[in-house]
Amino acid sequence: MHTHIPLSLAGTEVWLLADKAIYWPDQKALLIADIHFGKAAAFRALGLPVPHGTTATNLARLDALLKTYPTEHLYFLGDFLHAPESHASTTLNALEQWRQARASLLITLIRGNHDLRAGDPPAALNINVVPEPLLIGPLALQHEPESHPSHFVLAGHIHPAFSLIGRGRQRLRLPCFCLDNDVLLLPAFGDFTGGWEIKALPGRKIFVVGDGGIWPLG
Amino acid sequence: MPDDTISSPRLGAAWFAQRGWSPFPFQEDVWNAVERGESGLLHATTGSGKTYAVWLAALNSFAKGKRLTAKGEPSKRKQAAEPLSVLWLTPMRALAADTKRALEAPVDDLELNWTIGLRTGDTSSAERARQSRRQPTALVTTPESLSLMLSREDSQEIFSSLRMIVVDEWHELLGNKRGTQVQLALARLRQWNPALVIWGLSATLGNLSHAQEVLLAGHPGRLVQGKLAKDLLVDTLLPKRGVERFSWAGHLGVRMVPHVANEIEHSATTLIFTNTRAQAEIWYQALLEARPEWAGLIALHHGSLDREVRDWVEMGLKEGKLRAVVCTSSLDLGVDFLPVERVLQVGSPKGVARLLQRAGRSGHAPGRPSRVTLVPTHSLELVEAAAAQKAVAARRIESRSAPPKPLDVLVQHLVTIALGGGFTPQTLLEEVRTAWAYRELTDEEWAWSLAFVRHGGHSLTAYPDYRRVEPDEQGIWRVPDRQLARRHRMGIGTIVSESALHVQFWTKGGGGGRLGSIEEGFIARLKPGDHFLFAGRVLELVRVENMTVYVRRASSKKAAIPRWSGMRMPLSDEMAEAVIDELTEADQERFTTPEMQLVKPLLDIQKHWSALPTRNHLLGETMKSREGWHLFLYPFAGRHAHLGLASLLAWRIGQRRPISFSIAINDYGFELLSPSKVNWEEELDGQLFSTQTLLADVIASLNASELAQRRFREIARISGLIFTGYPGAQKSTRQLQASSSLFFQVFQQYDPQNLLLTQAEQEVLRQELDVRRLEKALERMQALELNLHAIERPTPFSFPLLVERYRESMSSEKLADRIARMVQDLENAAGPSDYDLPTEGNDLMALGAGESDLPARRKGRAPRQVKTGLPSTKRQKRG
Repeated sequence: MHTHIPLSLAGTEVWLLADKAIYWPDQKALLIADIHFGKAAAFRALGLPVPHGTTATNLARLDALLKTYPTEHLYFLGDFLHAPESHASTTLNALEQWRQARASLLITLIRGNHDLRAGDPPAALNINVVPEPLLIGPLALQHEPESHPSHFVLAGHIHPAFSLIGRGRQRLRLPCFCLDNDVLLLPAFGDFTGGWEIKALPGRKIFVVGDGGIWPLG
Repeated sequence: MPDDTISSPRLGAAWFAQRGWSPFPFQEDVWNAVERGESGLLHATTGSGKTYAVWLAALNSFAKGKRLTAKGEPSKRKQAAEPLSVLWLTPMRALAADTKRALEAPVDDLELNWTIGLRTGDTSSAERARQSRRQPTALVTTPESLSLMLSREDSQEIFSSLRMIVVDEWHELLGNKRGTQVQLALARLRQWNPALVIWGLSATLGNLSHAQEVLLAGHPGRLVQGKLAKDLLVDTLLPKRGVERFSWAGHLGVRMVPHVANEIEHSATTLIFTNTRAQAEIWYQALLEARPEWAGLIALHHGSLDREVRDWVEMGLKEGKLRAVVCTSSLDLGVDFLPVERVLQVGSPKGVARLLQRAGRSGHAPGRPSRVTLVPTHSLELVEAAAAQKAVAARRIESRSAPPKPLDVLVQHLVTIALGGGFTPQTLLEEVRTAWAYRELTDEEWAWSLAFVRHGGHSLTAYPDYRRVEPDEQGIWRVPDRQLARRHRMGIGTIVSESALHVQFWTKGGGGGRLGSIEEGFIARLKPGDHFLFAGRVLELVRVENMTVYVRRASSKKAAIPRWSGMRMPLSDEMAEAVIDELTEADQERFTTPEMQLVKPLLDIQKHWSALPTRNHLLGETMKSREGWHLFLYPFAGRHAHLGLASLLAWRIGQRRPISFSIAINDYGFELLSPSKVNWEEELDGQLFSTQTLLADVIASLNASELAQRRFREIARISGLIFTGYPGAQKSTRQLQASSSLFFQVFQQYDPQNLLLTQAEQEVLRQELDVRRLEKALERMQALELNLHAIERPTPFSFPLLVERYRESMSSEKLADRIARMVQDLENAAGPSDYDLPTEGNDLMALGAGESDLPARRKGRAPRQVKTGLPSTKRQKRG
């Protein structure tokens, strides 16, 4: 069982991590897509009772990654906050506290569709917010998985998942990375997010994650 | 008040006399009881005069004749109608209009100053506004619309003059949460009007006293037996060319089409009942193919068709313009006055009560017997047909029981009442406990329910941003947020359906004719240009947008068949026992009925290759195939209990060592299939069938499967966790959408004490796994001799299980090990794209089934906003 799989993209190496993120050693960068902070809070504010705890879990998982992979720059590929109602004090306080303890970390958010509605995170979080695409070296960091004319695209938005089908009519649905010609999709990182099932296609490479491991298919 | 009315104590009786009718004794029984202010339950077959028994009782007791003028003549002045006095609850909107017409007849003839109104989900807003200004004297409505009325600020005032409530088709509501919703509403109305007279109308059940107790919540009442089954004839349409012409099973039996067409030809009007909507679509198409000249003379009727389409069909039946209608349970109820001559039941009859009900659709003319003809769709259904005849003759009628205190319904009710004038907890608790379902509601459960609607959970800190219901300064619990109030009213009800898309013809200028609705999960698998069968037509998918599937006609013969994931009815205990009896006879080489003689060759094969299940033997079959190691077991306990049994055995074996199973079930038995080696003979020891630690083991097996998660879907929707959206306003609510499985996981992880989770568990135990029946089955299985056969190839009994596509899974392996094995399987199968399950139904005729108990695996969100109807990478988005 692997905890990461190195992948060479447009001449640079990135690692696909079992915990649904990408580590880019050259840049000492950690890439996270679709974390959807404050989604549960937004649900609560709109009258749907969702328990507390998803934010803490997301932050704990993030910390575990930062501890394992030496990171100078943390990139969020869109959908950092879920909705306008996600600017709830409990959520933002937790985020600010977390941020203060990691003041030296550079954080950039590439705006996604949810960020457009939710609004940028408060200044206290000290997050550099930019529109897509953000070009770094040979890679274009985006939220939406549109091809880029000159750069290889890393994107989120889709929340890709894949159904493994095996002997004995076994079936298992897992979040995955999905590598097409010039776009690599990241699974959604957030703890309270769903998944969209993608299909295997010729020329497409899929990496499923689960139980702390990552597996390449085909 | 001076006696200035015509002194006719019995207006209803007078109306009977006017028409030259005399009441049946049971009708007089009801009239007398209501005059004494008694409540009760009346059971009788359809079309026997139940409606007038209670309705004329209401007129007798509560209507006044025409006012007299000073000269003692009937007044000519038009007087204001009496205030709302009678509520008539009907389970189906479709029945409401018919009921209203039936109630109006005597009122018109007697020139009473009563008005009859209709209020259902179909009622126009203009009509609703009119009712708000002045309620009709009698209102025909559904449980959902009644709850909606209770959510109005002035609800107590509206119902202040109510005298009587009639709950029609109570047997349809008794066993489900809609019935619980009715119980809560009745508790409230009874609180306001202690002298309220409540009557239930029911078909015959095995446990009528329970039905009465639940309805009247323990208050005394009369059980009146109406006119019971007329002479009843059950027979079978036997295939002429013998049984080998059948496929064994899994087949929808369209080979019987010529025989059925022949029957239709020789009757004036025929109803052809099928067990599923998909089956109805297929049979309608097949009949048209067999008799193209019947286009326009035969029709299709099921619950997913557009209201207008169904109205047209019902009207056609009434006017005698239709030769035959292929239908599902959508025509089980009401619509009393149909001139139907012949009733056919395609496929398994499932239960005695249902068969009686369907038979009752025919032969309404006096003196003519009711007759239902069974059309077996595969050979084993011949056995069921033989069994059904004996069970009907012996009147082994099934029971139904009411769900015990479902908290999701209570939680919904709390918000409803908070809207409907508000409540104080102590008073409402007392009221709620007068409903049968909640008579033993504990203080803890009550406190939790209050906390749930107030804070979303038990502890004050758990849900800080949340507020749905709050006490105001006077301590009255109300809903402070208008937006939330609106959303709650939209979501009232306990019927949970898959999210559905409208199907509409595509026209350039805009929407063409509406055909009905179809499940999102099915459409998500089609591309524009694909063909599918719906509303009796082959349609081509044009595009999907704004929750609408646009289609055009297609001429192709090949079309996908929609699946609807409604719960399939299990074979009842009574029927299963009758089937086992037949098989036991066959095992002793006694073939006395034509059905059993016909199916003999197939039973011979079964006996030769393996054995027959009998009263004394539990049959098991083991097999090794390319897929892995199979076990087939036939306890004949109905599909729900089989699911429980299969999960239990899989879990118990999984406790011995890490192993994964996939599970298939049907009404006769179940299959366990493992991709790794199992020595079944060793595994199947006495321990496996033990009833000790049964409950703990079943709960453990539940947690290891996805069953509780599935059940949670319904609970989440009823308790208001999932909001299904305002019509035409999807976009604004998108950020509120999350699947119930996501909710389930979040609750399980962060709030495992949540009582809705507990409820999900209990409901799975009670409904989906039928734990009571499961325990009985285990006890029976222990007493039986296990007859285990290793088989070389599928037997007639195992084949249908082997080909069943809808499966549960159960695993005690580590997730990482499972992934590794399945990735390896993929490698072995030369690339992921070549190794996929067969896709859903392509060929019209060669298809197994279109409907399943197991909801479609949720495939992400449907492409609802996508212009092309295809999930393009740009928009396929989950939030």
